[in-house]
Amino acid sequence: MSARGPEPVSVALAAGTTSGATTSDPDSSTTSISGRAGSLDRDWLGELTSSGAARETALRDLHVLLVKAARHQVARMRGLLPRLGAVEADELANAAADEALVHLLGRLSTFEGRARFTTWAYKFAILQTANEVRRRAWASTEIALSDHLDLAVEVDGPESRAEANELAHAVAAAMTEALTTYQRRIAIALLVEGVPVDVLAERLGTTRGALYKTLHVARSRIRAHLVAAGHLPAGIPFGGTA
Amino acid sequence: MTSHQGRLSRDVVESLTLDTEPWLSCEECFDLMDSYAEAVVAGTEPRRRHDMEVHLRACPACFQEVESLVALLQQDSAD
Ligand SMILES: [Zn+2]
Repeated sequence: MSARGPEPVSVALAAGTTSGATTSDPDSSTTSISGRAGSLDRDWLGELTSSGAARETALRDLHVLLVKAARHQVARMRGLLPRLGAVEADELANAAADEALVHLLGRLSTFEGRARFTTWAYKFAILQTANEVRRRAWASTEIALSDHLDLAVEVDGPESRAEANELAHAVAAAMTEALTTYQRRIAIALLVEGVPVDVLAERLGTTRGALYKTLHVARSRIRAHLVAAGHLPAGIPFGGTA
Repeated sequence: MTSHQGRLSRDVVESLTLDTEPWLSCEECFDLMDSYAEAVVAGTEPRRRHDMEVHLRACPACFQEVESLVALLQQDSAD
């Protein structure tokens, strides 16, 4: 298996599709750290923007929550780093939690209270840890931006081969004719080679957001080209108002 | 390079032709993912659900992170 990550979503994350999960008593979600670190009624913002002992305690408890989320993320992505030992894994989680704490504190003023503060905090640790795991997983892999497309198509059975081949050829043609060289290279790196978007952004000295935008435009152009050539049904909105 | 070696597999063709309108950036996805994950766990309607679902189908990194946050919240509420 390559370091491509999870297969793009057939798993539904939508509301109501999780298996029997219910909201629980808020007190039951407290961690074992300080007794009230995860509690719903804690005034995290107030404590973190105060001074003295209250702030110190809040920072310490917050760091514990971030380490927990970072460890959770390392465990989920462990398959990408098969040679990572238990001690190194914990070091990685702690370092990511440190980084996440810095980012979070820098964005405290953007907390809108739309989610629990602890949930809001978790995501910083998850993002930071996922970035670091992906970066390490790809550290020894050279990423050459390629224009090359192999048209070997995997199909389920002979009856679907012709159709699948036709669409694959049409997509390849669309990529050649409708995309700029840069768009084509980014689309190939991200979607064909499976390079994670944050890893590619770091290598190219750009941002995840900028690469996703490039990909978004490339996909729109491919779809428009396929519709014009009769390979996708017309009338499906794909281009917004542009 | 990876084992994919430039192959236009069926999954890749599907991904290249995904309709990713309406536009949602990874940054906006990050901003929304906490309330989204809580809604998923609670079984309520997430804010900007459609936009999030379109993005998560199209962006494996964000999907991986949101999926992880949902799992962590579920784990918390089970404790
Ligand atoms: Zn994204």
